[in-house]
Amino acid sequence: MLEEDTRKLSMADGESSREATARTLRNAFGNVFSFFILLLIGILAFSIRLFSVIKYESVIHEFDPYFNYRVTQFLTKNGIYDFWNWFDDRTWYPLGRVIGGTVYPGLTLTAGTLWWLLNSLNIPLSVETVCVFTAPIFSAFASWATYLLTKEVKGTGAGLTAAVLLAMVPSYISRSVAGSYDNEAVAIFALIFTFYLYIKTLNTGSLFYATLNALAYFYMVCSWGGYTFIINLIPMHVLLCIVTGRYSSRLYIAYAPLVVLGTLLAALVPVVGFNAVMTSEHFASFLVFIIIHVVALVYHVKGNLSPRMFKVAVTLVVSVGLVVCCAMIAVLIALVASSPTKGWSGRSLSLLDPTYASKYIPIIASVSEHQPPTWPSYFMDINVLAFLVPAGIIACFLPLSDASSFVVLYIVTAVYFSGVMVRLMLVFAPAACIMSGIALSEAFNVLTRSIKFQLPGSSGISQSGDTSMNTEGEQNDIAKTEKMDETAKERPSKKNKRKEKEPVVKASIRSRIERRLLVLPLEASVIAIILLVLLGAFYVVHCVWAAAEAYSAPSIVLTTYSREGGLHVFDDFREAYAWLSHNTEVDDKVASWWDYGYQTTAMANRTVIVDNNTWNNTHIATVGTAMSSPEKAAWEIFNSLDVKYVLVVFGGLVGYPSDDINKFLWMVRIGGGVFPHIKEPDYLRDGQYRIDSQATPTMLNCLMYKLSYYRFVETDGKAFDRVRQTEIGKKYFKLTHFEEVFTTHHWMVRIYKLKPPKNRIRGKTKKSKSKASSTSSPKRSGTGKRNPWH
Amino acid sequence: MAIFPTVFLPLLLLTSVLHCATADSDDLVTELLSLQSQSKSGIIHLDDRLISRFLTSAKPPRPYSLLIFFDAEQFHSKPELHLQDLYTQYSLVSSSFIANNDVSAASSLFFCAIEFKESQKSFSLFGVNSLPHIRLVGPNVKNLQDSEVMDQGDFSRMAESMSEFVESRTKLNVGPIHRPPTVSKNQIAFLVVIVLIWVRFFIKNVATKDTILHDWRVWLLGAVFVYFFSVSGGMFNIIRKMPLFLVDRNDPSKLVFFHQGSGMQLGGEGFAVGFLYTTVGLLLGVVTHVLVRVNNRSAQQVVMGVALVVSFWAVKKVVSLDNWKTGYGVHAFWPTSWR
Repeated sequence: MLEEDTRKLSMADGESSREATARTLRNAFGNVFSFFILLLIGILAFSIRLFSVIKYESVIHEFDPYFNYRVTQFLTKNGIYDFWNWFDDRTWYPLGRVIGGTVYPGLTLTAGTLWWLLNSLNIPLSVETVCVFTAPIFSAFASWATYLLTKEVKGTGAGLTAAVLLAMVPSYISRSVAGSYDNEAVAIFALIFTFYLYIKTLNTGSLFYATLNALAYFYMVCSWGGYTFIINLIPMHVLLCIVTGRYSSRLYIAYAPLVVLGTLLAALVPVVGFNAVMTSEHFASFLVFIIIHVVALVYHVKGNLSPRMFKVAVTLVVSVGLVVCCAMIAVLIALVASSPTKGWSGRSLSLLDPTYASKYIPIIASVSEHQPPTWPSYFMDINVLAFLVPAGIIACFLPLSDASSFVVLYIVTAVYFSGVMVRLMLVFAPAACIMSGIALSEAFNVLTRSIKFQLPGSSGISQSGDTSMNTEGEQNDIAKTEKMDETAKERPSKKNKRKEKEPVVKASIRSRIERRLLVLPLEASVIAIILLVLLGAFYVVHCVWAAAEAYSAPSIVLTTYSREGGLHVFDDFREAYAWLSHNTEVDDKVASWWDYGYQTTAMANRTVIVDNNTWNNTHIATVGTAMSSPEKAAWEIFNSLDVKYVLVVFGGLVGYPSDDINKFLWMVRIGGGVFPHIKEPDYLRDGQYRIDSQATPTMLNCLMYKLSYYRFVETDGKAFDRVRQTEIGKKYFKLTHFEEVFTTHHWMVRIYKLKPPKNRIRGKTKKSKSKASSTSSPKRSGTGKRNPWH
Repeated sequence: MAIFPTVFLPLLLLTSVLHCATADSDDLVTELLSLQSQSKSGIIHLDDRLISRFLTSAKPPRPYSLLIFFDAEQFHSKPELHLQDLYTQYSLVSSSFIANNDVSAASSLFFCAIEFKESQKSFSLFGVNSLPHIRLVGPNVKNLQDSEVMDQGDFSRMAESMSEFVESRTKLNVGPIHRPPTVSKNQIAFLVVIVLIWVRFFIKNVATKDTILHDWRVWLLGAVFVYFFSVSGGMFNIIRKMPLFLVDRNDPSKLVFFHQGSGMQLGGEGFAVGFLYTTVGLLLGVVTHVLVRVNNRSAQQVVMGVALVVSFWAVKKVVSLDNWKTGYGVHAFWPTSWR
């Protein structure tokens, strides 16, 4: 794709008309060429994400995507208004959840629209298929958006390179393989596209693009909570431009409509609503909005007054402006200070002060994707781009334009944030691709030029004059045409030094003209090109490997390779959910740990008690308490919640490590956090979590242990747990309040039914009854207290 | 010689304490109060003799509880124990408790500290064999080993959780924790004045485009530095408080700079690799943007040769380090017929 740059050689001295036709031809050829390259890049971005479909099947991955899938199903079935007002009673029983007002609707609406469009074109795809392929489609869009953005900054060559890098950057692949139907899949496209439109507006000063920019921002707000990154980055850039003396009317047009329209539109999204004006994340944009108006006023007054009058006016305006500013800042500070977290959400605060989360919010700090990354994470997620980015930063400074200063700011903030939270690597990856694209393109530009004009066959100097045409970084069309004319005119005589009257245009022209002689040694250039190509090849190998091996497992279907090389598939989850949907009543309630809530509602269509949207800690703690209690107490808790079935995930037979026994301590902790009679030390022997013969009696009698290991000894006679690598502590026991109704093929999911309550008045002998009542009544009151639902 | 009274007062007290073995409980409280008033944060420094005086020889029920912080100076150098951090938090709770309560309430709970080197006997008396360790000796405790231990969880959240522990066990009110402001009021006033003056000049300079902010080299350096710092996992080092290197356990004379396993890194390791990341990029940038402008042919050749060799070596090094550290077997996918 770099031929682009060298391709556009200006013509020899012939008639101007012939020159013009030749130039148009070249341009047309170049445009067609880039179009096809972009098409191929789109196909590449789409197809590299299909490994999960090829290796497994067309299935939705993990947990959250199942919820999104279910919401999309609802949308396509019931229409947008019902979706907006949807109160979901099949989850968080008996509380329910308001879905319409608590989700970012962008992804759902996108996939729903896609499905509707395909169906109205008589392409009968199922909703699931559309959902599975939404992420790869939007990855292609994202790489095209990257092309557009980088083209605005440094020209077509850099744009194409950046696009191809983004098409296969592992960090982005990890969130957008086919089946990974989550918000980030569309949000990254929206992020890049919003940035592109901002830069486009900044370069053209067109209100049309400014409006589009606000709309793109609206789409981003609909899609992902990460939109706060945009609404803070753009004001930062505007402020930077003002402070470094780069204010222009284009800047005003790029910024002011975005804030006004963007904020109004953002407030339309139910999940954001008045947060768009009430929380501190948005205050920076309003502050800069005020500042840019003050600055605009100053420039306006300056243009209308004589220098002396201006000085008088300046003192007036500056003092008034300062007073207004101070008043506004005081109001803002008062507003911010009145809220306990200073108006910032915990996650944002932990970005500003990286040690914040680890000190005060253990829940945020404990999530694995909120950990700070180490250096190998960078190598895994952006690979060799980590080497190229600094060169891109240098290129952006030579020369520094509004657009290139924006991408520099973008990469600096994004790399800092990614350093705090590994999850934000996703925001950093596009910036890294843009920078590396610029770096690679510039390097190839210089190196290929050096080879071309020093090849033994060609007479170096005389031809080297022809390289004056480059397609990079045109600020506007006028400057470009001027450049062309002038370079064509003055090419034979080197009188470029005389023409320095118009410094703005001239500066860039001069650097361009000087470059015709700027070459590197031939041999070194050849080696450098070979090394760069090798580096690129290594990147491709790494990305394909990452897409194929590291990021494609759907985690709902598991595979292992046996020693003979055969493939073994574990499809127990879907087996269990299918059993539930076929063998239970529609309104039965199923209790499980929250991880499986989304999947149960989406695949089995049964009501669950808790799910992955962990909005109610008490409810989760209730389930945790039940799982940690002895059978009878657990039965009472579950019965009070109308639960019919209990589902546990057990990996002891096949060695599946993320099963419920391994998550059990979290259940104890969360349960104990709300119901203090559950104490973690009761489940630990000398601080160690164990389930073998050394385990504590509380552990061996709790519901989770019993449901996981019931009849386990019948499998191999020894009851050897292959995850914990030990024989279990209690092998033979009976269940009194639960009965096993279904266990999947590999025992990974086990479903139990609550036994019906015993008949109280039974024809038992009188004395045993009186005895029982005298002994059991205090006990019952004791257990009654324990049960949080009585 | 104004120092004398403050130095000798405890000694005098001690001797007096030892002499009157049958001092009644009111005397003990007054003594504790006077000991308390000698330290700035109100923490009483105990030793074996004082322990026996106030705890073992004083018959329960005593009119006071003692909260004891077990300290050992020799472990202050071990960062994973956080002894000094905990001690500062502990003294914050102590001073806040004294500030928030009047004398009658404040005289029923005393914050004490005990040092391992001086009072090994007391450590064994309490059965303390691991640090950090904080114990509350209530008024009715006979055997010191029965006193209540503050859990790991109770001092994990710093002063606030300690005060919660105290409040729940003693039914006393600690009240809000008074943390000393990081900058004092005078400093704030001074800073405000400085900022105000600076803002005036700054706006003027910005208007005339004559600040350090208008020099693009500063921005370039800043950007590259932030990049270097982030990709080297600097944030990881700060948040996890990673040391730059470790001492090899088997061979104390050897230093360990690299840790195997991708979940963790040492400080020095991160910066070394971050340096390699950044160097290659900078060399590429310099070659494409600066070196081309150099007129001297041989200089160009030499610099390019060096840059190529260094870059090649750096990339190779990072790749091999990554393979070693993570253990991933990155491989290409060739058509099966090629095998």
